[in-house]
Amino acid sequence: MIEWFDIISSELASQFLNPKKRLFLGYLLSASIIAILWLCLIKRHAFGSSIRAVFDRRIWFSRSSRHDVICFMVNRVLFTWLRPVLVTQLAVATLLFQLLHHQTLVPVGLFEDAGYLVAAISFTLFFFLFDDFTRFAVHLALHRVPVLWAFHKFHHSAETLTPLTVTRTHPIEGLLFTARSAVVQGVSIAGFVFLFGNQVDLLTIFGVNIFVIIFHGLGSNLRHSHISIRYPAFIERFLMSPAQHQLHHSEAERHFDRNFGVALSVWDRMIGSFHHSVDEKVSFGIGRETAAFTRSVWSMYWSPFRFLFRRIMRGRNAPAARRRFHQTNTV
Amino acid sequence: MRTSKLFIGSAICVAMISAPAFAADIYGPYPVTLKGYSGDKTNSVSYSGQVGRQLLHNSLKKAIGSGASLDVTMSYFNGSDGELPLLDPKSSDSFKVDVTDINTVSRTNLSGKAYKGSLPGWPGNMTGKEVLESMITNAAATEKGYDSTHGYDYVQLVSKFTMGGVFYHQACDNYLDEKMNADNKPNDKPYKDGAYYTGKEHSWDEAFGYWGAAAHGATLSPKQNYDITKKKNMRDADANGDGVVNLKSEMNYAHAYYAAGFDKGGNTNYYNTITKAFIDGRQIIADANGEKLTDSQRREVKRHARTICSNWEKVIAEAVFKYAGSVYSNIEAVKATMGGNMWQVSGSSAQAEHKAALRKYAKYWGELAGFSLSLHASGVNLGEIGVKMDRLVGMGPVMPDGTQVNGMSNGKFTVASGKSMDSFGVHMLKLQNLMVEEFGVEARNNDKISGISNLAEVLGSSDSAEND
Repeated sequence: MIEWFDIISSELASQFLNPKKRLFLGYLLSASIIAILWLCLIKRHAFGSSIRAVFDRRIWFSRSSRHDVICFMVNRVLFTWLRPVLVTQLAVATLLFQLLHHQTLVPVGLFEDAGYLVAAISFTLFFFLFDDFTRFAVHLALHRVPVLWAFHKFHHSAETLTPLTVTRTHPIEGLLFTARSAVVQGVSIAGFVFLFGNQVDLLTIFGVNIFVIIFHGLGSNLRHSHISIRYPAFIERFLMSPAQHQLHHSEAERHFDRNFGVALSVWDRMIGSFHHSVDEKVSFGIGRETAAFTRSVWSMYWSPFRFLFRRIMRGRNAPAARRRFHQTNTV
Repeated sequence: MRTSKLFIGSAICVAMISAPAFAADIYGPYPVTLKGYSGDKTNSVSYSGQVGRQLLHNSLKKAIGSGASLDVTMSYFNGSDGELPLLDPKSSDSFKVDVTDINTVSRTNLSGKAYKGSLPGWPGNMTGKEVLESMITNAAATEKGYDSTHGYDYVQLVSKFTMGGVFYHQACDNYLDEKMNADNKPNDKPYKDGAYYTGKEHSWDEAFGYWGAAAHGATLSPKQNYDITKKKNMRDADANGDGVVNLKSEMNYAHAYYAAGFDKGGNTNYYNTITKAFIDGRQIIADANGEKLTDSQRREVKRHARTICSNWEKVIAEAVFKYAGSVYSNIEAVKATMGGNMWQVSGSSAQAEHKAALRKYAKYWGELAGFSLSLHASGVNLGEIGVKMDRLVGMGPVMPDGTQVNGMSNGKFTVASGKSMDSFGVHMLKLQNLMVEEFGVEARNNDKISGISNLAEVLGSSDSAEND
């Protein structure tokens, strides 16, 4: 029992003390500073009111935020327990690396003479793009496949957004994200070690992926916040601003199924789901369903399974559980 | 004046502190403690039989590699009554040794001490001794020990398995094992009638001789020890400064040399760990002063024996890891000389290049197989790990025409066909994994799998319960 308490408490602490994690205290601090500077310098708010706005009690202590905290705790405990049975990137990479030796098109060590820097830059860049694209693709699937949307509603049911909302994730979604991450890391590692040999490395700062540091250090936590930071229009065409992601959480139907991207917005432009940020107050949630879905934390965890059960029993006649996907391009 | 007094005082203190520490890093001399001994011996250390076998092994390897006849090679395996010229290490201007005839060190043999357990990893269901005899016999029918049909390099196979099947086996399955039991070779009796050393003293010394470290090796760096075996370092080898390397006590042999080689990388300290455990264990036996070891003394001695054998096993596993990496690289090298044609290499220079690549491939596989067979010889049943290892290593390397030795019938090797060199390469990767997981190797020379684990570590855990 004490051992489990130790494991879970250290697991919880690592979320805030590990710079590889989005909720690392350093990133939360940088996000707070960026938010305050945004309000002071761009929105011309007084410093005091900016502070009050960033740390608005109505947001941070809302019922939705309290749900976020409970979900965060429950999920950490659940994943601490599940971790030993989850497929890891190491297993995927080892398997793929071995399988690659059975093909004859590309010889092993094709780019072994490329040198450390070329190998490291190539790997870091490839991993960033592949990782970001697959996050986008999985996110898209979570919205477009009814069964998956039933689980993703868990995240979208948040009525206030705080950095902790990022962990407001149904465990089934969590398993999907874990599988995606294991496959992406495994494929990247196996492919690059096969081609470049053991010299492949990741460009890091303080031991953390350089892109992760940049993405999180520049305020990725503000994506889930009430501070609507917008980028100039031409930048938003390439990089997803916090305001664009907040629009993704909008409960207004005109914003449904927009901006699935994470760091890059180019993927959304490719499939016509791109939307610039808007200079208007956006309210979050899943509309009329919000109240029923968030009746209790138990209900949030259980509802997707109820939908799934009904879906199995009634086939396609089950009530629609997903948002309509907009086909129009608003770029 | 005050400064110079301080300096002299400090120097004396340093000398007082460091002198005993230095002595404690040297194996011997230890006093004669045998009760009732009245001869003129003052040092009870004796392992000339083991040094003799080290020299037989070195010379046997040279003899096979130079294409010597079966009579000659067998004389190094079975011993000979006549003169037995030392073929390695031979004196040179830069590295003088004190032996030319092995029989002047000890009239001994390798065959009598070879592992008698069975070795399923080698064709023919033979004992370790029979495997060595068979290898030496087959080697004599080849050109300088190389069988290009089956990819066997008998120079390496015989050498690496002699190190395990004789030295490692004798030390860890005999002298440091049953001979450390209470009633076996007790310390209050001579090792054998007429001996000036006790049962336990000599048992321990014999194991040290099989380990193959120079008596002063623990005072040197891994590179210094490594260079001694390579005959590049006369100055550090000649501990007593008599201008010649005394092959009984100033040379590094066999696994001790390999340990120094791995330690050079800086990740391990096998040579000193093992050698110092030998020194500490021997000191306990010497301190018993010719009395039977008490239970607690014997427990301590056995603890040192465990340290020695577990690290010795790791040294061999490191060698398996290293040569699995070499075989993996050489598969690619062999394939590169074939230009995508797995069956035929055209052009004389391409053929020469191809033959050279195959020769190297066979050499590394020979080392790999010799070391992996050695892991079976400690007397500890490796169980499933041993089966996995043997299957991954195979009974021969997969040749470019897809053949691989898979057994023996009527004294001749049988081969399976349709094997893939690529799959064999994957076996080498799995073998490296096995050495990491089951033996905990740390030097990891020729690592072909670290790129994957290193990248996985730097990317961090892949489990995620976060939305984006």
